[in-house]
Amino acid sequence: MSSENKKLRFLGLIALFLVLAAFAMVLFYAPIEVNMGIVQKVFYFHVSAAWIGMLAFLVAAVCGALYLNKKQIKYDFIAYSAVEIGLLFTAIANFTGMIWAKPIWNTWWTWDPRLTTMTIMAFTYIGYLLLRRGVDNLEKRARFGAVYAIIAFASVPLTFFSSRLLRTIHPTIFGANSGDMAMTPAMYQTMAVSIVAFTFLFAGLLWHRSILAARESEIDNLRAQTEVAEFGEVQDD
Amino acid sequence: MRDWLHSVRTLVWKDLLQEWRSKDMLTAMFAFAILTLFIFNYAIELSPVNRAEIASGIIWVVIVFAGTLGLNRSFTAEQDQGCFDALVMAVPDVSAIYFGKMLTNWLVMLFVSVLILPIYSLLYNQSLFNLGFILVLVLGAWCYSAAGTLIAGMTVQTRMRDLLLPILLFPILMPVNMAVVKAAGGILAGAPLVEVQAWLVLLAAYGIIVTTVSILVFEYVIRE
Repeated sequence: MSSENKKLRFLGLIALFLVLAAFAMVLFYAPIEVNMGIVQKVFYFHVSAAWIGMLAFLVAAVCGALYLNKKQIKYDFIAYSAVEIGLLFTAIANFTGMIWAKPIWNTWWTWDPRLTTMTIMAFTYIGYLLLRRGVDNLEKRARFGAVYAIIAFASVPLTFFSSRLLRTIHPTIFGANSGDMAMTPAMYQTMAVSIVAFTFLFAGLLWHRSILAARESEIDNLRAQTEVAEFGEVQDD
Repeated sequence: MRDWLHSVRTLVWKDLLQEWRSKDMLTAMFAFAILTLFIFNYAIELSPVNRAEIASGIIWVVIVFAGTLGLNRSFTAEQDQGCFDALVMAVPDVSAIYFGKMLTNWLVMLFVSVLILPIYSLLYNQSLFNLGFILVLVLGAWCYSAAGTLIAGMTVQTRMRDLLLPILLFPILMPVNMAVVKAAGGILAGAPLVEVQAWLVLLAAYGIIVTTVSILVFEYVIRE
Protein backbone atom coordinates (compact mmCIF):
# COMPACT_ATOMS: atom_id res chain seq x y z
CA MET A 1 0.00 0.00 0.00
CA SER A 2 2.67 2.50 1.00
CA SER A 3 4.88 1.61 -1.99
CA GLU A 4 1.86 2.21 -4.24
CA ASN A 5 1.31 5.54 -2.51
CA LYS A 6 4.91 6.45 -3.18
CA LYS A 7 4.61 5.56 -6.83
CA LEU A 8 1.48 7.62 -7.13
CA ARG A 9 3.13 10.60 -5.45
CA PHE A 10 6.14 10.24 -7.74
CA LEU A 11 3.86 10.17 -10.79
CA GLY A 12 2.13 13.29 -9.52
CA LEU A 13 5.44 15.09 -9.12
CA ILE A 14 6.54 14.14 -12.64
CA ALA A 15 3.22 15.38 -14.02
CA LEU A 16 3.53 18.64 -12.09
CA PHE A 17 7.07 19.19 -13.31
CA LEU A 18 6.20 18.40 -16.92
CA VAL A 19 3.12 20.61 -16.95
CA LEU A 20 5.12 23.50 -15.52
CA ALA A 21 7.87 22.87 -18.09
CA ALA A 22 5.33 22.78 -20.91
CA PHE A 23 3.76 25.97 -19.63
CA ALA A 24 7.14 27.70 -19.54
CA MET A 25 7.96 26.47 -23.03
CA VAL A 26 4.66 27.75 -24.37
CA LEU A 27 5.29 31.14 -22.80
CA PHE A 28 9.00 31.66 -23.41
CA TYR A 29 10.34 29.10 -25.87
CA ALA A 30 7.78 28.73 -28.63
CA PRO A 31 7.91 31.58 -31.14
CA ILE A 32 4.91 33.77 -31.83
CA GLU A 33 3.15 32.64 -34.99
CA VAL A 34 3.44 35.19 -37.79
CA ASN A 35 -0.14 35.29 -39.01
CA MET A 36 -2.17 34.49 -35.92
CA GLY A 37 -0.10 36.21 -33.27
CA ILE A 38 -0.13 35.41 -29.57
CA VAL A 39 -3.49 33.59 -29.58
CA GLN A 40 -1.92 30.70 -31.47
CA LYS A 41 -0.19 29.71 -28.22
CA VAL A 42 -3.43 28.28 -26.88
CA PHE A 43 -2.96 25.58 -29.49
CA TYR A 44 -0.38 23.58 -27.49
CA PHE A 45 -2.73 22.90 -24.60
CA HIS A 46 -5.72 22.66 -26.94
CA VAL A 47 -4.21 19.77 -28.89
CA SER A 48 -2.96 18.09 -25.73
CA ALA A 49 -6.38 18.31 -24.08
CA ALA A 50 -8.10 16.95 -27.20
CA TRP A 51 -5.61 14.08 -27.27
CA ILE A 52 -6.35 13.25 -23.62
CA GLY A 53 -10.08 13.30 -24.40
CA MET A 54 -9.63 10.68 -27.10
CA LEU A 55 -7.17 8.65 -25.01
CA ALA A 56 -9.50 8.64 -22.00
CA PHE A 57 -12.45 7.32 -24.01
CA LEU A 58 -10.22 4.69 -25.58
CA VAL A 59 -9.12 3.65 -22.07
CA ALA A 60 -12.79 3.46 -21.04
CA ALA A 61 -13.65 1.22 -24.00
CA VAL A 62 -10.64 -1.05 -23.42
CA CYS A 63 -11.37 -1.30 -19.69
CA GLY A 64 -15.02 -1.98 -20.55
CA ALA A 65 -13.99 -4.92 -22.72
CA LEU A 66 -11.61 -6.13 -20.00
CA TYR A 67 -14.39 -5.90 -17.42
CA LEU A 68 -16.81 -7.92 -19.54
CA ASN A 69 -14.09 -10.48 -20.10
CA LYS A 70 -12.57 -10.74 -16.62
CA LYS A 71 -15.39 -9.48 -14.38
CA GLN A 72 -12.94 -7.63 -12.14
CA ILE A 73 -14.52 -4.52 -10.70
CA LYS A 74 -11.27 -2.55 -10.82
CA TYR A 75 -11.63 -2.22 -14.59
CA ASP A 76 -14.99 -0.60 -14.07
CA PHE A 77 -13.48 1.90 -11.64
CA ILE A 78 -10.82 2.79 -14.20
CA ALA A 79 -13.33 3.07 -17.06
CA TYR A 80 -15.66 5.29 -15.06
CA SER A 81 -12.79 7.52 -13.91
CA ALA A 82 -11.44 7.75 -17.46
CA VAL A 83 -14.80 8.92 -18.80
CA GLU A 84 -15.07 11.61 -16.14
CA ILE A 85 -11.57 12.91 -16.80
CA GLY A 86 -12.04 12.59 -20.55
CA LEU A 87 -15.13 14.79 -20.37
CA LEU A 88 -13.20 17.42 -18.46
CA PHE A 89 -10.42 17.47 -21.05
CA THR A 90 -12.87 17.47 -23.94
CA ALA A 91 -14.45 20.55 -22.41
CA ILE A 92 -11.01 22.18 -22.04
CA ALA A 93 -10.24 21.40 -25.69
CA ASN A 94 -13.55 22.86 -26.81
CA PHE A 95 -13.20 26.04 -24.76
CA THR A 96 -9.56 26.69 -25.69
CA GLY A 97 -10.57 26.07 -29.29
CA MET A 98 -13.27 28.71 -28.97
CA ILE A 99 -10.80 31.23 -27.55
CA TRP A 100 -8.64 30.62 -30.60
CA ALA A 101 -11.48 30.55 -33.12
CA LYS A 102 -12.97 33.92 -32.17
CA PRO A 103 -10.05 36.04 -33.48
CA ILE A 104 -8.98 33.62 -36.23
CA TRP A 105 -12.28 32.44 -37.72
CA ASN A 106 -14.15 35.45 -36.40
CA THR A 107 -16.71 33.21 -34.71
CA TRP A 108 -16.87 31.21 -31.48
CA TRP A 109 -18.32 28.24 -33.21
CA THR A 110 -18.54 26.71 -36.66
CA TRP A 111 -19.97 23.38 -37.76
CA ASP A 112 -16.56 22.01 -38.52
CA PRO A 113 -16.12 18.20 -38.33
CA ARG A 114 -13.64 18.26 -35.49
CA LEU A 115 -15.72 20.63 -33.41
CA THR A 116 -18.94 18.76 -33.98
CA THR A 117 -17.31 15.36 -33.45
CA MET A 118 -15.78 16.52 -30.17
CA THR A 119 -19.09 17.90 -28.96
CA ILE A 120 -21.16 14.90 -30.03
CA MET A 121 -18.56 12.72 -28.33
CA ALA A 122 -18.93 14.74 -25.15
CA PHE A 123 -22.70 14.23 -25.25
CA THR A 124 -22.22 10.52 -25.83
CA TYR A 125 -20.21 10.25 -22.64
CA ILE A 126 -22.54 12.50 -20.66
CA GLY A 127 -25.02 9.78 -21.61
CA TYR A 128 -22.60 7.24 -20.11
CA LEU A 129 -22.69 9.03 -16.76
CA LEU A 130 -26.50 9.28 -16.88
CA LEU A 131 -26.84 5.60 -17.73
CA ARG A 132 -24.75 4.67 -14.71
CA ARG A 133 -26.78 6.91 -12.46
CA GLY A 134 -29.92 5.12 -13.57
CA VAL A 135 -28.74 1.68 -12.42
CA ASP A 136 -28.64 0.88 -8.71
CA ASN A 137 -27.17 -2.59 -8.84
CA LEU A 138 -23.36 -2.26 -8.81
CA GLU A 139 -22.62 -5.26 -11.00
CA LYS A 140 -25.27 -4.28 -13.55
CA ARG A 141 -24.03 -0.70 -13.55
CA ALA A 142 -20.51 -1.87 -14.37
CA ARG A 143 -21.82 -4.20 -17.08
CA PHE A 144 -23.98 -1.56 -18.78
CA GLY A 145 -21.21 1.01 -18.49
CA ALA A 146 -18.82 -1.36 -20.23
CA VAL A 147 -21.26 -2.15 -23.05
CA TYR A 148 -22.04 1.51 -23.61
CA ALA A 149 -18.38 2.58 -23.50
CA ILE A 150 -17.61 0.07 -26.25
CA ILE A 151 -20.48 1.01 -28.57
CA ALA A 152 -19.88 4.72 -27.95
CA PHE A 153 -16.23 4.46 -28.87
CA ALA A 154 -17.12 2.53 -32.03
CA SER A 155 -19.40 5.37 -33.11
CA VAL A 156 -16.82 8.16 -32.64
CA PRO A 157 -14.75 7.51 -35.80
CA LEU A 158 -17.96 7.16 -37.83
CA THR A 159 -19.17 10.51 -36.56
CA PHE A 160 -15.85 11.99 -37.55
CA PHE A 161 -15.87 10.51 -41.06
CA SER A 162 -19.42 11.58 -41.70
CA SER A 163 -18.87 15.15 -40.62
CA ARG A 164 -15.63 15.17 -42.58
CA LEU A 165 -17.54 14.17 -45.69
CA LEU A 166 -19.40 17.45 -45.38
CA ARG A 167 -16.39 19.75 -45.30
CA THR A 168 -13.74 21.20 -43.04
CA ILE A 169 -12.03 24.50 -42.32
CA HIS A 170 -10.12 23.30 -39.27
CA PRO A 171 -6.35 23.60 -39.75
CA THR A 172 -4.83 20.20 -40.42
CA ILE A 173 -1.54 19.95 -38.59
CA PHE A 174 -0.73 16.31 -39.07
CA GLY A 175 -0.68 14.66 -42.45
CA ALA A 176 -1.57 17.91 -44.17
CA ASN A 177 -1.10 18.10 -47.91
CA SER A 178 -1.11 21.87 -48.04
CA GLY A 179 0.42 23.52 -45.00
CA ASP A 180 -2.47 25.23 -43.25
CA MET A 181 -0.16 26.09 -40.43
CA ALA A 182 3.59 25.78 -40.83
CA MET A 183 5.32 24.77 -37.61
CA THR A 184 8.91 25.48 -36.68
CA PRO A 185 11.01 22.94 -34.74
CA ALA A 186 10.58 24.96 -31.54
CA MET A 187 6.81 24.71 -31.98
CA TYR A 188 6.99 20.96 -32.51
CA GLN A 189 9.13 20.54 -29.41
CA THR A 190 6.77 22.61 -27.30
CA MET A 191 3.82 20.61 -28.54
CA ALA A 192 5.55 17.28 -27.90
CA VAL A 193 6.37 18.32 -24.34
CA SER A 194 2.79 19.52 -23.79
CA ILE A 195 1.34 16.25 -25.02
CA VAL A 196 3.69 14.19 -22.87
CA ALA A 197 2.97 16.43 -19.87
CA PHE A 198 -0.79 16.07 -20.30
CA THR A 199 -0.46 12.32 -20.70
CA PHE A 200 1.36 12.07 -17.37
CA LEU A 201 -1.20 14.37 -15.81
CA PHE A 202 -3.94 12.12 -17.14
CA ALA A 203 -2.26 8.99 -15.77
CA GLY A 204 -1.94 10.61 -12.34
CA LEU A 205 -5.54 11.86 -12.31
CA LEU A 206 -6.83 8.51 -13.51
CA TRP A 207 -5.00 6.68 -10.76
CA HIS A 208 -6.28 9.04 -8.06
CA ARG A 209 -9.82 8.93 -9.40
CA SER A 210 -9.83 5.13 -9.61
CA ILE A 211 -8.78 4.89 -5.97
CA LEU A 212 -11.55 7.30 -5.11
CA ALA A 213 -14.05 5.21 -7.11
CA ALA A 214 -12.97 2.11 -5.20
CA ARG A 215 -13.48 3.94 -1.89
CA GLU A 216 -16.90 5.18 -2.98
CA SER A 217 -17.94 1.67 -3.80
CA GLU A 218 -16.69 0.46 -0.40
CA ILE A 219 -18.84 3.09 1.28
CA ASP A 220 -21.83 2.05 -0.82
CA ASN A 221 -21.30 -1.54 0.22
CA LEU A 222 -21.01 -0.63 3.89
CA ARG A 223 -24.13 1.49 3.66
CA ALA A 224 -26.03 -1.35 1.99
CA GLN A 225 -24.91 -3.73 4.73
CA THR A 226 -26.06 -1.43 7.53
CA GLU A 227 -29.39 -1.04 5.80
CA VAL A 228 -29.74 -4.79 5.56
CA ALA A 229 -28.82 -5.07 9.23
CA GLU A 230 -31.44 -2.48 10.16
CA PHE A 231 -34.31 -3.24 7.82
CA GLY A 232 -33.64 -6.75 6.66
CA GLU A 233 -32.92 -7.90 3.11
CA VAL A 234 -34.44 -5.67 0.43
CA GLN A 235 -35.44 -6.73 -3.04
CA ASP A 236 -32.85 -5.57 -5.54
CA ASP A 237 -34.50 -3.93 -8.54
CA MET B 1 -28.03 -22.46 -37.26
CA ARG B 2 -31.48 -23.77 -38.15
CA ASP B 3 -32.48 -23.58 -34.51
CA TRP B 4 -31.16 -20.06 -34.37
CA LEU B 5 -33.11 -18.94 -37.44
CA HIS B 6 -36.18 -20.65 -36.11
CA SER B 7 -35.99 -18.79 -32.80
CA VAL B 8 -35.40 -15.45 -34.51
CA ARG B 9 -38.45 -16.06 -36.66
CA THR B 10 -40.54 -17.10 -33.67
CA LEU B 11 -39.46 -14.02 -31.70
CA VAL B 12 -40.28 -11.65 -34.54
CA TRP B 13 -43.60 -13.37 -35.07
CA LYS B 14 -44.42 -13.19 -31.35
CA ASP B 15 -43.64 -9.48 -31.14
CA LEU B 16 -45.46 -8.58 -34.33
CA LEU B 17 -48.49 -10.63 -33.35
CA GLN B 18 -48.55 -9.08 -29.89
CA GLU B 19 -48.36 -5.63 -31.46
CA TRP B 20 -50.96 -6.46 -34.07
CA ARG B 21 -53.46 -7.60 -31.45
CA SER B 22 -53.28 -4.39 -29.43
CA LYS B 23 -51.98 -1.94 -32.06
CA ASP B 24 -51.16 0.41 -29.16
CA MET B 25 -47.69 1.22 -30.31
CA LEU B 26 -48.40 1.44 -34.02
CA THR B 27 -51.31 3.80 -33.49
CA ALA B 28 -49.26 5.98 -31.18
CA MET B 29 -46.29 6.04 -33.53
CA PHE B 30 -48.45 6.86 -36.51
CA ALA B 31 -50.34 9.66 -34.77
CA PHE B 32 -47.10 11.02 -33.36
CA ALA B 33 -45.49 11.01 -36.81
CA ILE B 34 -48.40 12.89 -38.38
CA LEU B 35 -48.40 15.43 -35.56
CA THR B 36 -44.66 15.99 -35.89
CA LEU B 37 -45.20 16.55 -39.59
CA PHE B 38 -47.81 19.20 -38.80
CA ILE B 39 -45.50 20.87 -36.28
CA PHE B 40 -42.81 21.04 -38.93
CA ASN B 41 -45.25 22.54 -41.36
CA TYR B 42 -45.79 25.51 -39.10
CA ALA B 43 -42.34 25.69 -37.54
CA ILE B 44 -40.59 25.80 -40.90
CA GLU B 45 -42.39 27.57 -43.69
CA LEU B 46 -42.47 24.78 -46.26
CA SER B 47 -42.61 26.91 -49.36
CA PRO B 48 -42.60 25.00 -52.64
CA VAL B 49 -39.11 26.36 -53.36
CA ASN B 50 -37.19 24.92 -50.43
CA ARG B 51 -39.55 21.99 -49.84
CA ALA B 52 -37.63 19.61 -52.07
CA GLU B 53 -34.37 20.27 -50.26
CA ILE B 54 -35.58 19.79 -46.72
CA ALA B 55 -38.09 16.98 -47.32
CA SER B 56 -35.47 14.32 -46.59
CA GLY B 57 -34.57 15.94 -43.28
CA ILE B 58 -38.17 16.29 -42.17
CA ILE B 59 -39.14 12.76 -43.16
CA TRP B 60 -36.13 11.32 -41.34
CA VAL B 61 -36.72 13.32 -38.15
CA VAL B 62 -40.39 12.26 -38.15
CA ILE B 63 -39.41 8.60 -38.56
CA VAL B 64 -36.67 8.82 -35.91
CA PHE B 65 -38.95 10.44 -33.33
CA ALA B 66 -41.72 7.96 -33.98
CA GLY B 67 -39.13 5.15 -33.94
CA THR B 68 -37.99 6.19 -30.48
CA LEU B 69 -41.52 5.59 -29.20
CA GLY B 70 -41.37 2.09 -30.63
CA LEU B 71 -37.89 1.35 -29.28
CA ASN B 72 -38.97 2.41 -25.81
CA ARG B 73 -41.61 -0.30 -25.89
CA SER B 74 -39.56 -3.03 -27.49
CA PHE B 75 -38.43 -4.62 -24.23
CA THR B 76 -41.10 -3.41 -21.80
CA ALA B 77 -43.22 -6.55 -21.99
CA GLU B 78 -40.26 -8.78 -21.09
CA GLN B 79 -39.07 -6.40 -18.38
CA ASP B 80 -42.47 -5.88 -16.74
CA GLN B 81 -43.45 -9.53 -16.84
CA GLY B 82 -39.97 -10.60 -15.78
CA CYS B 83 -39.47 -12.99 -18.66
CA PHE B 84 -35.97 -11.97 -19.73
CA ASP B 85 -34.62 -15.12 -18.08
CA ALA B 86 -37.19 -17.30 -19.80
CA LEU B 87 -36.28 -15.74 -23.14
CA VAL B 88 -32.58 -16.38 -22.56
CA MET B 89 -33.29 -20.01 -21.75
CA ALA B 90 -35.57 -20.48 -24.74
CA VAL B 91 -33.09 -19.55 -27.47
CA PRO B 92 -29.98 -21.44 -28.60
CA ASP B 93 -27.92 -18.26 -28.44
CA VAL B 94 -28.59 -14.83 -26.93
CA SER B 95 -27.79 -13.17 -30.24
CA ALA B 96 -31.11 -14.57 -31.52
CA ILE B 97 -32.94 -12.29 -29.08
CA TYR B 98 -31.00 -9.30 -30.35
CA PHE B 99 -31.68 -10.21 -33.94
CA GLY B 100 -35.36 -10.84 -33.33
CA LYS B 101 -35.84 -7.55 -31.54
CA MET B 102 -33.80 -5.67 -34.11
CA LEU B 103 -35.79 -7.12 -37.00
CA THR B 104 -39.06 -6.27 -35.26
CA ASN B 105 -37.97 -2.69 -34.63
CA TRP B 106 -36.78 -2.41 -38.20
CA LEU B 107 -40.06 -3.73 -39.59
CA VAL B 108 -42.11 -1.45 -37.35
CA MET B 109 -40.09 1.57 -38.49
CA LEU B 110 -40.49 0.59 -42.12
CA PHE B 111 -44.20 0.11 -41.57
CA VAL B 112 -44.49 3.63 -40.17
CA SER B 113 -42.49 4.94 -43.14
CA VAL B 114 -44.84 3.16 -45.51
CA LEU B 115 -47.72 5.04 -43.90
CA ILE B 116 -45.94 8.39 -43.70
CA LEU B 117 -44.47 8.62 -47.19
CA PRO B 118 -47.78 8.64 -49.12
CA ILE B 119 -49.26 11.11 -46.63
CA TYR B 120 -46.32 13.43 -47.05
CA SER B 121 -46.52 13.07 -50.83
CA LEU B 122 -50.22 13.86 -50.67
CA LEU B 123 -49.94 16.85 -48.33
CA TYR B 124 -47.07 18.49 -50.16
CA ASN B 125 -47.74 17.34 -53.67
CA GLN B 126 -44.25 15.96 -53.97
CA SER B 127 -43.78 12.35 -54.93
CA LEU B 128 -41.33 10.50 -52.69
CA PHE B 129 -41.64 7.23 -54.53
CA ASN B 130 -38.10 6.97 -55.64
CA LEU B 131 -36.22 3.67 -55.32
CA GLY B 132 -33.01 5.35 -54.22
CA PHE B 133 -34.83 7.33 -51.54
CA ILE B 134 -36.50 4.20 -50.24
CA LEU B 135 -33.18 2.34 -50.24
CA VAL B 136 -31.67 5.10 -48.07
CA LEU B 137 -34.58 4.95 -45.64
CA VAL B 138 -34.35 1.15 -45.40
CA LEU B 139 -30.60 1.36 -44.69
CA GLY B 140 -31.08 4.20 -42.22
CA ALA B 141 -33.84 2.36 -40.38
CA TRP B 142 -31.59 -0.69 -40.13
CA CYS B 143 -28.76 1.37 -38.57
CA TYR B 144 -31.29 2.98 -36.26
CA SER B 145 -32.73 -0.28 -35.00
CA ALA B 146 -29.29 -1.93 -34.78
CA ALA B 147 -28.06 0.71 -32.31
CA GLY B 148 -31.49 1.32 -30.80
CA THR B 149 -32.19 -2.29 -29.87
CA LEU B 150 -28.93 -2.56 -27.92
CA ILE B 151 -29.45 0.73 -26.09
CA ALA B 152 -33.15 0.07 -25.41
CA GLY B 153 -32.20 -3.30 -23.92
CA MET B 154 -30.19 -1.41 -21.33
CA THR B 155 -32.36 1.63 -20.71
CA VAL B 156 -35.45 -0.49 -20.06
CA GLN B 157 -33.62 -1.95 -17.08
CA THR B 158 -32.70 1.45 -15.61
CA ARG B 159 -34.63 3.76 -13.34
CA MET B 160 -35.12 6.48 -15.96
CA ARG B 161 -36.20 4.22 -18.84
CA ASP B 162 -37.91 6.27 -21.59
CA LEU B 163 -36.14 9.38 -20.46
CA LEU B 164 -32.73 7.90 -21.01
CA LEU B 165 -33.12 6.21 -24.40
CA PRO B 166 -32.96 9.30 -26.66
CA ILE B 167 -30.15 10.83 -24.60
CA LEU B 168 -28.01 7.74 -25.14
CA LEU B 169 -29.15 6.93 -28.63
CA PHE B 170 -29.11 10.26 -30.47
CA PRO B 171 -25.40 11.06 -30.11
CA ILE B 172 -24.48 7.55 -31.24
CA LEU B 173 -26.82 7.89 -34.21
CA MET B 174 -25.39 11.19 -35.38
CA PRO B 175 -23.48 9.69 -38.36
CA VAL B 176 -26.66 7.90 -39.49
CA ASN B 177 -28.64 11.13 -39.35
CA MET B 178 -26.06 12.98 -41.40
CA ALA B 179 -25.76 10.20 -43.97
CA VAL B 180 -29.50 9.62 -44.40
CA VAL B 181 -30.37 13.29 -44.73
CA LYS B 182 -27.53 14.02 -47.15
CA ALA B 183 -28.04 10.92 -49.28
CA ALA B 184 -31.83 11.17 -49.38
CA GLY B 185 -31.66 14.91 -50.03
CA GLY B 186 -29.26 14.37 -52.90
CA ILE B 187 -31.44 11.69 -54.42
CA LEU B 188 -34.60 13.79 -54.13
CA ALA B 189 -32.75 16.69 -55.78
CA GLY B 190 -32.15 14.39 -58.74
CA ALA B 191 -28.57 13.27 -58.15
CA PRO B 192 -27.73 9.77 -59.42
CA LEU B 193 -26.91 7.09 -56.82
CA VAL B 194 -23.20 7.27 -57.68
CA GLU B 195 -23.01 10.80 -56.32
CA VAL B 196 -24.29 9.84 -52.89
CA GLN B 197 -22.40 6.54 -52.89
CA ALA B 198 -20.06 7.63 -50.09
CA TRP B 199 -23.05 8.18 -47.78
CA LEU B 200 -24.55 4.81 -48.66
CA VAL B 201 -21.23 3.10 -47.93
CA LEU B 202 -21.09 4.95 -44.62
CA LEU B 203 -24.59 3.74 -43.72
CA ALA B 204 -23.74 0.16 -44.63
CA ALA B 205 -20.49 0.36 -42.65
CA TYR B 206 -22.31 1.79 -39.63
CA GLY B 207 -24.94 -0.92 -39.80
CA ILE B 208 -22.39 -3.70 -40.06
CA ILE B 209 -20.13 -2.35 -37.30
CA VAL B 210 -22.94 -1.63 -34.85
CA THR B 211 -24.72 -4.92 -35.51
CA THR B 212 -21.47 -6.86 -35.02
CA VAL B 213 -20.54 -5.06 -31.81
CA SER B 214 -24.10 -5.47 -30.52
CA ILE B 215 -24.08 -9.22 -31.16
CA LEU B 216 -20.81 -9.46 -29.24
CA VAL B 217 -21.98 -7.50 -26.21
CA PHE B 218 -25.74 -8.14 -26.11
CA GLU B 219 -25.20 -11.15 -23.90
CA TYR B 220 -24.00 -8.82 -21.14
CA VAL B 221 -27.05 -6.61 -21.51
CA ILE B 222 -29.59 -9.31 -21.02
CA ARG B 223 -27.99 -12.00 -18.93
CA GLU B 224 -28.03 -11.52 -15.18
